Amino acid sequence: MLTCDEYLTPTSLDEAFAAMAAHRGRHRLIAGGTDILPWAREGRAGDVDVPVLIDITRISELTERKVAAGRVRVGAATPIQRFLDDKAIATAMPCMPRCAIWFADDQIREQATIGGNLANASPAADGVPPLLAHAAGVELASKRDGRLMRRLLPLNKFILGSGKTALADDEIMIAIECDALPGYGGSFEKVGHRRSLVISVVCLAGLVKLDASRRRFEDVRLALGGVCPVPQRLTEVENFLRGAAIDSGRLERAAAMPLDFVQSRTRREYRREVVHGFVMRGLINALRRAGADADVLKPELEAAYA
Amino acid sequence: MPDLRIDAIINGRKVSRTAKPWQRLIDFLREDLHLTGTKEGCGAGECGTCSVFVDGVLVKSCLMPVAKAQGARIDTVESLGRNELSVLQKAFHKAGASQCGYCIPGMVMAATSALRANPFADREEIKERLGGNVCRCTGYQKIVDAVELARDVVNGRISATALEEEETADGRFIGANVRRLDAPSKVSGALKYAGDMVMANMLHVQVLRSPHAHARIVSLDISEAAAMDGVEAVITSEDVPGVDGFGVFVHDQPVMARGKVRYVGEAVAAVAAEDVVTARRALAKIKVVYEPLPAVFSVEEALRPGAPVLHDYAPDNVTKHIPVRVGDVARGFAESDLIVEQVYETQAVEHAYLEPEAGLAHVDADGVVTIQSPSQNITHHRHMLARILALPINKVRMIMSPVGGGFGGKEDMIYQGMLAILAIKTRRPVRLVFTREESIASTAKRHPSKTTLKMGLTLDGRIRAVEFNMVCDGGAYGLSTEGVMRKAAILGAGPYNIPNLKMDTYGIYTNNTPSGAFRSFGALQAQFATESHLDICAERLGIDPFEIRRINAMRPGSKTHTKQPLKSASLLAALKAVAQASGWEKGPPTSRGEARRDLGGPGNRPSCTLGSRIDGAPGQARDEVA
Amino acid sequence: MARKRGRGMAAGWYGIARTATVDRAGAWAEIDDGGTVKIMTGVTEIGEGILTVLAQIAAEEIGVTPQDVTIGDNDTARVPEAAHAGATRMTYMIGNAVALASRDARERLVAVLAAHWEVAADNIVTANGIARVEGANQHMSMAEAVHLCKSRGVVPVGSASFGTDTTGLDPVDGSGRPWQAYVFGCQVAEVEVDTVTGEVQVLGVWAAHDVGRAVNPKGVEGQIEGAVVQALGQALMEDYKLDGGHTTTPGFAKYILPTALDVPQVNSVIIEDPDPIGPLGVKGIGEPAMVPTIPAVMNAIYDAVGVRITSLPATPEKILEALRAKTNAKASVAAE
Repeated sequence: MLTCDEYLTPTSLDEAFAAMAAHRGRHRLIAGGTDILPWAREGRAGDVDVPVLIDITRISELTERKVAAGRVRVGAATPIQRFLDDKAIATAMPCMPRCAIWFADDQIREQATIGGNLANASPAADGVPPLLAHAAGVELASKRDGRLMRRLLPLNKFILGSGKTALADDEIMIAIECDALPGYGGSFEKVGHRRSLVISVVCLAGLVKLDASRRRFEDVRLALGGVCPVPQRLTEVENFLRGAAIDSGRLERAAAMPLDFVQSRTRREYRREVVHGFVMRGLINALRRAGADADVLKPELEAAYA
Repeated sequence: MPDLRIDAIINGRKVSRTAKPWQRLIDFLREDLHLTGTKEGCGAGECGTCSVFVDGVLVKSCLMPVAKAQGARIDTVESLGRNELSVLQKAFHKAGASQCGYCIPGMVMAATSALRANPFADREEIKERLGGNVCRCTGYQKIVDAVELARDVVNGRISATALEEEETADGRFIGANVRRLDAPSKVSGALKYAGDMVMANMLHVQVLRSPHAHARIVSLDISEAAAMDGVEAVITSEDVPGVDGFGVFVHDQPVMARGKVRYVGEAVAAVAAEDVVTARRALAKIKVVYEPLPAVFSVEEALRPGAPVLHDYAPDNVTKHIPVRVGDVARGFAESDLIVEQVYETQAVEHAYLEPEAGLAHVDADGVVTIQSPSQNITHHRHMLARILALPINKVRMIMSPVGGGFGGKEDMIYQGMLAILAIKTRRPVRLVFTREESIASTAKRHPSKTTLKMGLTLDGRIRAVEFNMVCDGGAYGLSTEGVMRKAAILGAGPYNIPNLKMDTYGIYTNNTPSGAFRSFGALQAQFATESHLDICAERLGIDPFEIRRINAMRPGSKTHTKQPLKSASLLAALKAVAQASGWEKGPPTSRGEARRDLGGPGNRPSCTLGSRIDGAPGQARDEVA
Repeated sequence: MARKRGRGMAAGWYGIARTATVDRAGAWAEIDDGGTVKIMTGVTEIGEGILTVLAQIAAEEIGVTPQDVTIGDNDTARVPEAAHAGATRMTYMIGNAVALASRDARERLVAVLAAHWEVAADNIVTANGIARVEGANQHMSMAEAVHLCKSRGVVPVGSASFGTDTTGLDPVDGSGRPWQAYVFGCQVAEVEVDTVTGEVQVLGVWAAHDVGRAVNPKGVEGQIEGAVVQALGQALMEDYKLDGGHTTTPGFAKYILPTALDVPQVNSVIIEDPDPIGPLGVKGIGEPAMVPTIPAVMNAIYDAVGVRITSLPATPEKILEALRAKTNAKASVAAE
């Protein structure tokens, strides 16, 4: 069980930084709490005592959301469920609702925060691949010498390894910013051992934009999770497809491109095979949702993967 | 340690109280406010028995620090249907959606949330919205039926009279769908399971468990733990007053490890303290010196000559061997046209009843040691406990509290002995509630099995001979292994006439988690092998799988493998009924797959593709709400 | 096609009540004031619905409604022994014991009524809270009947024990009579296998099971549905794993159970082949319904994609591995 001597609930960044300064080395930040509570149990960390827990979810800046000028800004303490039910966010981030529906369950999605999902830096974190595909950045703040400092790190520079991030001891994650991509078709493919409350063995986020002809890729973005310590963009596959005409052969060649970063030692063969299938399935689903012409792909190909 | 101040509106009433800073919302509701309709099934957000509304949003209260409830409006299952059951609760009652009932308050809450979000949700969307709530009894079917029924009443498609009970006018109740009499107490959260019960002046028990699979206990020092403030008693095997041993068939398991531990998770000592946190801290102060012993982790290792021995009485590590013999298998195979041999393996599985083990014990005014727990066998537990406590049998009283799922897993008396001894020692009521992890690590599993099955048949599909050898990992203690081996041996070859049979089942001791009783008790593992095997044979012989079973089926008057004549036998009726109900297309099982014409009929659900809320199911009537 | 469908079937059998040993259960009944009924017996509900089943049996045997029946259960110091809650023995052992105890109590009551109305006891009908003389006008409520009994110095109580005529097994050849009632069942499963991920979805199960006589058909369905899903968990996902004796599946995040999204539609068919021995003809359903599911699902997977899983559970990894092995085998055959 998780025990603490004090549980603090600051309502402003100033209060939060003051609490962190006062309890330096004895505190942990807590947001949704959906990871830290199960972590402090038998079979994982066991009984854990953290002298001071600082809950950052009542700081208003951390729950703000806005879509403007081609950018999305989402407070770090935003519950995952908002990516499913906030229409403006869902429109600007076409694969996020599909990621959210696979994320834990309806109730945990109301508790778990997007910032917590990133800060945990689990190789299987479902929130990471879609945000990578959106070229998201993470805004971090600290108070040093009485001055509020902010920095924006690209997500792939924020997550450094399994469970490792660039978040400094005196920093708070404020928000996630990314491109708004309305008009893209989005997909999120995931497999685990069941269909709810399930950890990804492999997951893939896909975003596709078509050009005016509806027969050519204007943009393609793919990111994979679950297969290596840090989720990855499939840059080479994206480059191979970007600007190209949509046809079955090209899709097959794209999916066959070597993916040597499938590093997970367990179930490696399995993961490689699923990744291949998911690249196809993710592209096909995203193409369809982007409004591609019905006849751009061979029906057999769609049937074989969709 | 500054306490938190919690001001909240809970079930419509203002509550102002202090709480410990580390408490979770579930602790505050259950322990401080006695709102025990909210259950704890896993403590990790994985089961949904603790779902409550916080400011109108359904959350898992085991994942929420109570500090987050400050200023919030909290609604628990007790807020629903205060004067009469809510529409959903009535629908659960009507549909027969509750069985053990432990998941049901959470399920009712999740369903309430689902219908508030979309009173026109279709069946698939309902299932998605209930995806965070696990039920182990019902298979979910009647739960989803209930939500669909309630949905149609809520959205006005049907009248509320659909929730009324059908009357049985003729006084014939055997054969009637009488509604479950215990359902109202379950859908409302009113029913108290052992972990919900409190007694005045009650102490809380925690158990120290072995970190070793096989080790000698060199020394066990409880003095520091026993001296802690708030600790009333610490017990070890030395505190057992009578004959220390229990088990369903052999009494090979001590109340707490005696001299050595045989599996990880075995009880070594127990503490009774004023609260759970103190009891857990005391566990950390118990000093045990172990000398690790060589251990066996598979039946192959356990059966190797010279293997480490778990129990002196079984030097070969064989817990039980059951043979069944009919005819002469050598002759039977010689008469066969086809002989197929194959190995089948099944894994250990956990009962995963949603109610973790829990129990209370006290010594009553007449000196009767009284234990309330969800025991599946109070009769046998009373016998064993009287011997363990060295008391006359009428000085031991076992009360079976409502069982939040058992499936065989609550037949073993693995914690009631500790509770009884602590109640006697402290002269105060004591309560132990297992965590989910403790339940998983320390209680019985279904026996993992390895079966080598050789079957000989003639070309017309008749079985001539079966040789069946099944070896099961019984783990560290005997529990129900003997019975499981017996049932597997009697039933394993299936309900077929087999003139020549050599059947052997073996239960083996290992240093793995003990295996024990589990619904279908050996018959499941053994018949998985036989029924898979028949399909292979049917394919090789070009016979329809129903037909091969019909050809060999036991009929009234047939003798079973143990040579018992059957007064009645309904296998042929069952085969016929299922072939008809499923519209089975005849043919040998040659992996016909997509070529079949009997696929996709009305008895199937649609394939699950998540996201009915995103794409919008066809014809979904969301607009009707607006 | 990425998603392939198939069907499989399997049958099974099971013995009712304790195995290869004498089983027994006791019950007491009292027809109480107000025409209500108390039934006392030594076990309680583990979720299967036995309390309702016993109330139905007592109600019909005595002539009241199930709502009039109170079950006093579960306490070794207060009620007669009914042994344990398991072994698919509840309806069979305790149901039959309660039926016999109810008949015993009713006989006491009816004897007083017969004397009162000066008719033969056989002519008295009790049902739905009314006692009456068959083919005549005399009748009274059960409440009045109890009051009448008591005014004559009779408390209408009854008791019964129900035991089995069974034996142990011969230690050499296993012969013996382990049970007096056997049940049989059969199931068909329809599956969809996703060949991209290896996931198996069980879409439909048709399950026919003999229960002797269904006391509460909806309760029987509930047992079948729950058993099918519990078996499906073992078939596809559940796996308690150990490493050097330490579990690597310590909680429900790692020990995976089926959710509402993972389960098939279950289509139950109840078969009633009455037990020729017990007074009610009932048998049982709790465990037997679980037996055919796993092989039916494995046989269906073979039908769909041609791979036979003989080692449980059939995880997505195992399915894809088997498919890979099958493709490689075909390729090597082609190369030869």
